[in-house]
Amino acid sequence: MLIPLSYNVRSLFVRKATTIATALGIGLVVFVLSSALMLGQGIKNTLVSNGSDGRAIVLRRGSDTEMASGIDSNVVSLLMAAPGVKKDAQGQPIGTADVVIVAALDKVGEAGHVSNILVRGVQSGVMRVRPEVRVIEGRPARPGTDEVIVGRGIRGRFKGTELGSSFDLKKNRSVTVVGVFESGGSSFESEVWADIDTVRTSFGRGSSSSSVTVLLESPAAYDSFAAYVENDKQLGLEPSKESVYYDKQSEGTSLFITSLGAIIAFFFSVGAMIGAMITMYGAVAQRSKEVGTLRALGFSRGAVLLSFLFESSVLALIGGIIGGLASMGMTAVEFSMMNFATWQEISFSFDPSPAIIFGSIAAGGVMGVLGGFFPAVRAARLSPIEAMRG
Amino acid sequence: MNIGLVAVRNLGRNKLRTVLTMVGVSVAIVTFILLRTVLSAWTVAADHAAKDRVGTRHKVSFIMTLPKRYLQEIREIPGVKSAAGANWFGGKDPKHDSEFFASFAVDPKQYLEVYDEIVVPEDQRESWFGNRQGAVVGDALAKKLGWKVGDRVTLLGTIFPGDWEFVISGIYTASRKSVDRSSFMFHYDYFNDSPQAAAANARDQIGWVVSRIDDPGRAAEISQAIDARFDERDIQTLSMSERAMNTSFIGMISAVLKAVDAVSLVILAIMVLILGNTVAMGVRERTHEYGVLRAIGFLPKHLAVFVLGEAVAVSVAGGVLGIMIAYPFVQEGVGRYLEENMGAFFPFFRIDPVTVVWAMVLAALLGVVAAALPAYNASRLNVIDALRRVG
Repeated sequence: MLIPLSYNVRSLFVRKATTIATALGIGLVVFVLSSALMLGQGIKNTLVSNGSDGRAIVLRRGSDTEMASGIDSNVVSLLMAAPGVKKDAQGQPIGTADVVIVAALDKVGEAGHVSNILVRGVQSGVMRVRPEVRVIEGRPARPGTDEVIVGRGIRGRFKGTELGSSFDLKKNRSVTVVGVFESGGSSFESEVWADIDTVRTSFGRGSSSSSVTVLLESPAAYDSFAAYVENDKQLGLEPSKESVYYDKQSEGTSLFITSLGAIIAFFFSVGAMIGAMITMYGAVAQRSKEVGTLRALGFSRGAVLLSFLFESSVLALIGGIIGGLASMGMTAVEFSMMNFATWQEISFSFDPSPAIIFGSIAAGGVMGVLGGFFPAVRAARLSPIEAMRG
Repeated sequence: MNIGLVAVRNLGRNKLRTVLTMVGVSVAIVTFILLRTVLSAWTVAADHAAKDRVGTRHKVSFIMTLPKRYLQEIREIPGVKSAAGANWFGGKDPKHDSEFFASFAVDPKQYLEVYDEIVVPEDQRESWFGNRQGAVVGDALAKKLGWKVGDRVTLLGTIFPGDWEFVISGIYTASRKSVDRSSFMFHYDYFNDSPQAAAANARDQIGWVVSRIDDPGRAAEISQAIDARFDERDIQTLSMSERAMNTSFIGMISAVLKAVDAVSLVILAIMVLILGNTVAMGVRERTHEYGVLRAIGFLPKHLAVFVLGEAVAVSVAGGVLGIMIAYPFVQEGVGRYLEENMGAFFPFFRIDPVTVVWAMVLAALLGVVAAALPAYNASRLNVIDALRRVG
C-alpha cells in the first residue's frame, strides 16, 4: 500500500523556507536550460526558414557561403534553362541571381561601434522566387535605381536604415531606404536588399553573381536539376537544396549556443541536485519519527522510498514549472549576434516550443528524483523501532 | 576556545550535510570560474593586442580588397615604421573538411617584421623565405592536422578554386597570448601569380594592410592620416588600431558575452540558495540549544556569530575546493581542448588570477549573505519560546 501523496505535499508546506529555497534553485537551472534551448531553436528557425525544399541554390564548387562564391553571368541563363526549373505562364523560368556583400555600418545607440550587415543585390524577379518576402511599410524599390528595402530586423538599428533615410554603400554612392520588408522571421530580415546593378557597380563586381536561386517545379524535381548542374564539370558549380544550404549555415552558431547552454545547464543541475539532496536528507532526519511510525503502521520500505522520491520530485517540479514559465518571458527579448558562417549580425529571438518547455521542466523533475534518491533510501532503511525512539 | 572556533566545530555535527554543502558550493565556484574564463578569453585578444599596430582595410567591407600600391603609400605616411599586406585565402584541408583555420597569403619577410610575436625558428624561417611554395603554420594547427616540417600538403581553395600545393617550411609559436596558433601563411607571390587570382580579379590586390607605428600613443592620429590619404580615391580605407579592431569584433558577439555574464551571476544565486537552506535547517534544528545558550548568558550577537561563522567557514572551504578542481579542469582539460580546436576564437583559454580572487571573495561574501536571515532570526529568539521548542 502506498503512503497518501497528500502527506508529502503537506510536508513541503510545513517547511516553507526550505521548500522555496530548493525549488528556486532548481527553477533557475530550468530557466537557464530552457532559455538556451529556446535561443538555439531561434537561431535555427531564423536561418533555416530562409530555405525551402521547393527551391535550389547554386554556388561555385567549394564555396561554403554565398560570400565566397562567384558565378559568371553567362552561366546564369544556362542554369535557368536547366530541367526542373519552374516556368511561369509565359514560359519564362523563375529564378534569380543575387550578389552578396558585407558592409560595415555604424550601430545606432552604441557610439563608435560598427557592425557588419549583409547587402544583397537582387534582380527584379526576386519576389517571384521568394513569395514569402513582403514589403510591410513604404514601397518596393524600383529596379535600376539607388533605392533599397531593409529587413525589419535591422530597421533603424544601424545609421541610415530607417525608412526614408539613406546611407553610403561607398563614398558618394548613397542609397535610400524606401521600404521595410518581412520574410517570416528568417535571416533575410537582417539584410538590406538593393538593385543588383547598384551593388555590382559600387563594389566592382563586374557582371558576376554570388548565387543563383531557382524555383523548382516540385521538391522532387531537384534531382534532375542537380544532375544537370553537376554533370557539366566545366561550370564548376554546386547545387544544394535551399533548405539544406541554410541548415548548414545555421549549424555553427546554433551548435555553439546550444552546447554552451547544455554545458552550463549540466554544471548548474549538479548544484541544484545537491541542493535537493541536502533538503531531502534534512527532511528525512527531521521526520524519522514519522517514518518509523509509518513503518510500524505497516507501510513497506518500498512505500517509504516511493513516498520520499515523490516528495522530492514534486519539490523539483514546483521549481521547474516556475523556471519554465519564467523562461517564456525571454520571448520578449531580442538577441542580436554574429552568425559565424557569414560574419553578419543577425537578430534572433528565443523561440519556445512545447518540447523545450516541458522537456526542461521534466529535466528539473529528474534532478529532483536523482537528488532525492539517496535520502529516500536512507528513509526506507530506517529501523522502525529506533526511529520511533528518536 | 573562542566563539569562532565553536562555530566551525558545529560543522562536524552533521558531516554529511556539511560535505554536501561544500560540494555544492565548489560546483558553483567551478562553474563561475569557467564562465568568467570564457569571458576573459574572448577579451584577451583585445587586451593583449599590440598597441603599436594599425590595420587598414577597405572602407565598406572586409571582403573587398585594396590595390597593392596602397601598401607602398602607407609606408610613406609619417609615423609608420613598416607595413605588410595580407590576403584572405580561405583554404580547407580536403582530408579534414570540417576543420576551420585561417589561411592567408603574405610577404613573409614583411609580415614577420610587423608581427614579431610570431616566432619561427631561424632555419625554418630562411627555408620559408626561399621557397615559393613554402608555408608556415601555427603549432596548434600542425598538431591537429598532423603536419610536420617538410610535409607536402594540398589545400582546397574555397574562394580561389582548385587544389593548391604547399610545403610546410616551418611551424610557428607565439610569444604573445593574442596570436592564433592555428593559422596557415604562405607566399603572396605564389598566390598573386596563380591563374585563380587572375580569374577572380584578385591580381595585385591586397586584403588588408597592417602597419607598425613608432608611437603607440599616436595610433588614432596615424589611422586618420592613412584614411585621409585615400579619401579622394576610388577605394577608401578604414584604419584602426589592432586593439580597436579586436574590440569591434567583440562588439559583434556582445550579446553572448552579456548572457554568459548574467548566467555566471545566476550560478551564484543558486549557491546562495543552497547555502542559505543548509544554514536555515541548522538553525531550526538547534533552536532549543540556542535557547539554552541565551539562558546561560550568551548574547544575541554571539548566536549571530555562531551562525555566520559556520556559513562562512563552509562556503570558504567549498570555494577553496572549487578552485582546486577548477585549475586542473580548465587549464589542462577544457582550456587545452579549446586552444587546440577553436584557436581562432580562443587563442588563450586560461584562468585569470583575478577571477580566482573574485571567486574567493564572493564565496566568503555570499556565505554572509546566505546566513544573514537565519543569523538574524537566531539572534532574535525569545529565550522562553526557544526552550519550549523541542527537537
